[in-house]
Amino acid sequence: MSGVLDRGTLTAGGLLGLVIVLLPLSALGVVPLPALPIYGVNLLGQIMCFALLAMSVDLMWGGAGVLSLGHGLFFAFGGYLCAMHLLRTAFAETHVLPDFLLFMGHGGFPSWWSLFDSPATTALAILALPALLAFAFGYVSFRSRVNGVYFSIITQALTYTAMLLMFRNDTGFGGNNGMTGFRSVAGLPAGSLPAAVLLATLSGCAVLVVLLGGRLLLASRFGRLLTAIRDDEPRLRFLGYDTLWLKLAAWCLSACIAAVAGALYVPQVGIINPSLLDPALSLEIAVWVAIGGRGGLCGAILGAALINGAKFWLAGAAPTLWPFVLSLLVLAVVLLLPNGLLDLRNRSRAWMTDLSRGPLPRLRAP
Amino acid sequence: MTAMMRRVAAGVLLAMMAVASARAEAIDRRAVLAQLCGTGAAESLAGLRLLLDAAPGLSPADAQWGLAVAAAFSGKALHCGANGEAVLTGPGGTVDAATLQTGALPADSRAPLPSLRARVVLEQVSAALTLFADTPARDRLAAVRTLGRRSDGLPANLVPAALERAHDPAVVSALRDMQAEAGLHAADPQRRIDAIRTIGDTATSATATRLRALRADPAFSADPAVSAALDGAIARVDRRVAIGNALSLLYNGISAGSVLFMSAVGLAIIFGLMGVINLAQGELIMLGAYVTYCVQQALVMAAPAWVDWYPLLAIPVVFVITGAAGVVIELAVIRHLYQRPLMTLLATWAISLLLINLVRVGFGTQNLQFMTPPWLRGGVNLVGDFLVTWNHLFAIGFAALALLATAALLRLTDLGLFIRAVTQNRGMAGCVGISSRRIDMAAFGFGAGLAGLGGLALSPIYNVNPTMGTGFIIDSFMVVVLGGVGSLAGTALASLGVGLVNVGIEPYYGAVAAKVIALLLIILIIQWRPEGLVATRGRR
Repeated sequence: MSGVLDRGTLTAGGLLGLVIVLLPLSALGVVPLPALPIYGVNLLGQIMCFALLAMSVDLMWGGAGVLSLGHGLFFAFGGYLCAMHLLRTAFAETHVLPDFLLFMGHGGFPSWWSLFDSPATTALAILALPALLAFAFGYVSFRSRVNGVYFSIITQALTYTAMLLMFRNDTGFGGNNGMTGFRSVAGLPAGSLPAAVLLATLSGCAVLVVLLGGRLLLASRFGRLLTAIRDDEPRLRFLGYDTLWLKLAAWCLSACIAAVAGALYVPQVGIINPSLLDPALSLEIAVWVAIGGRGGLCGAILGAALINGAKFWLAGAAPTLWPFVLSLLVLAVVLLLPNGLLDLRNRSRAWMTDLSRGPLPRLRAP
Repeated sequence: MTAMMRRVAAGVLLAMMAVASARAEAIDRRAVLAQLCGTGAAESLAGLRLLLDAAPGLSPADAQWGLAVAAAFSGKALHCGANGEAVLTGPGGTVDAATLQTGALPADSRAPLPSLRARVVLEQVSAALTLFADTPARDRLAAVRTLGRRSDGLPANLVPAALERAHDPAVVSALRDMQAEAGLHAADPQRRIDAIRTIGDTATSATATRLRALRADPAFSADPAVSAALDGAIARVDRRVAIGNALSLLYNGISAGSVLFMSAVGLAIIFGLMGVINLAQGELIMLGAYVTYCVQQALVMAAPAWVDWYPLLAIPVVFVITGAAGVVIELAVIRHLYQRPLMTLLATWAISLLLINLVRVGFGTQNLQFMTPPWLRGGVNLVGDFLVTWNHLFAIGFAALALLATAALLRLTDLGLFIRAVTQNRGMAGCVGISSRRIDMAAFGFGAGLAGLGGLALSPIYNVNPTMGTGFIIDSFMVVVLGGVGSLAGTALASLGVGLVNVGIEPYYGAVAAKVIALLLIILIIQWRPEGLVATRGRR
């Protein structure tokens, strides 16, 4: 159990627990906190969705050494499924069709959309459909031993293709305008403080569950096999393990988490459009993980929170500066801290020792 | 002998005199002017008709006179005296209307105003006379167009006579078209058939539509001979249009393929050699296009005479600058990440982000305005609608040259030998004394330089802006995967294949479907040949 709960996990878990408990209590007026700004709650919720997304990438990258540059696909998949449910509930209230359907000249929803009337089937779809897509893609890729950089780029291509597909109006999901006009979230009016608190709390719970569950999983036998795949897959194969199914299981789980993150994210921002499928966004997820630190899931949360916090802040303060900050930060972390900011502690300790000891005579490189 | 020569000479002289007198009699200038000066609208109209009917036989001098009179009449610069004298006024002074010699304005003159109906004829007259006077080809072409628009009431021998005098090929073909057009409405079936043949000679989809419209016309389907000729012409045009369409599909596919090749070849070499994917490759292409632009601007300022050749003059500059950028990237970043290839993805992505934003700050986000030198403008129509455009041909030729140059470098030089050696087995190459680090640097620089040249070749075809590179990396990588990592021939083959598939599918299912299908095909092909189409030998 000591491997599961290290200091980082305890800190992150404690903070999350605090948020989960305090947010609803203060919203209900039980705890006398200063009035909650709706913007702040919303921001917190969004950042926690990103943290969830980053963890899903970290599970594959830090766990099995498979870097996905296409998790935006599963994120958006979950988001679209959730948006469909929200649109159906909005329609049930107002009986006004969303603009994109009217625009395409449809008299009503396609019949299969009625599947998304109930929250239960929607939740089931969010858990199952993206995982199914991940399975199909993962099966053909892992089976033909596509891995490393190769796999990363193909995931990127997949996301890119999906973006092109969703940009078309004929695809039937709102084209480039996407889907918006949600009325209520679980009975609460969309955009209100109660809804924001509910969603942020739910996101916090999801992050906590995935953090603890993920760490348990990584410490289990399955997690050790994943680590073995990361370090030397051919050797594990020679030892008699079928790495295909191990990788596939982790991959589908990861896609599932990403989809849940997307489903929680969309009601908070109130819109979904194909820009979530932009390959650059998928790449950024990997950047959060790389900056935070791979392998422990805490680093992913740290990276996602840090980068997105900085992005929200700089987007208001100095929008043109942000790309420079991000790119230089990535270069610095990649070159100086191979395992992200979590490495800082170990590194700084090593540097301090070096400083106190003075330079060692360098060995000649072979 | 001499007698015979004399007789011939006399004959020629007589003939010339006859022609000269015929010409002289071809138009009675005074009569025309008298009509134009007439008080009624009908009289001036009759004068214009006189001019129009006489036009086919006029000498260039007479036609020139007619043009001057028509222009003056239209501009109210023809002044008629009470005693039948007429003068033209203009910026060059007052001239006698019949002789165009200097004259004086009569005492109580008036300038007749052409009626609306006269103006229509006036337009015809000016256009017809233009064809017989000494006018530039451009004016003649415009005149033919005008006549084509207002062809009613033209003298029947106008077009044949104009054809005899026309030399410019564009004017000749325009006149032929007009003749054919007139022939279509002729009562004589033979003339109709001839006209259909003539129209059928220019085989474009426009003529095909036109001929089909004629077939539906009962006036043409009634006569079996005419209708048979029509069917034959349609079949002929259709065949040539089909051939032209197939060729232009091939041409566009090759053109798209060569663009893909230019962006993928650097990536293929680098990936084969180091197992590193340079996500900044697209931005190096963008950089190449911007350097080309800078060369163009520098030439505008320093040596305007050479501006037309800027795409060629920029080649060494672009190669050196983007190659140097590649070397810097390799030295500063890639070199430290060989053990962590996944990190190079993020690092090169950061570099691409940095480059995009540096260029955005430096040049702004708008598209760059490139001059198109005359030798890249337009194209030549080969068959049907198939147009060989020079700018695409430039890109194709450029890619072919780049392929040859790269193949030569890899096969014929020491550097190429070392690159191949390190690609096949890095450790072993190091053992025999090849400095693999230095080879990496050189190859990265070379790949970057090729990407820059790709940007140069693209600049006449694509929109050049800071984000132009982002679309390339995925397509290029697909090409590398499909062709086989580190294989030049595979890259060339795969780019052609993907280009053709894209262009072939696009017209039927749209650009998105083309991309989706290409991606699915590639994933399927990887199932079948994980090493790509052309696998390189290597022990890794």
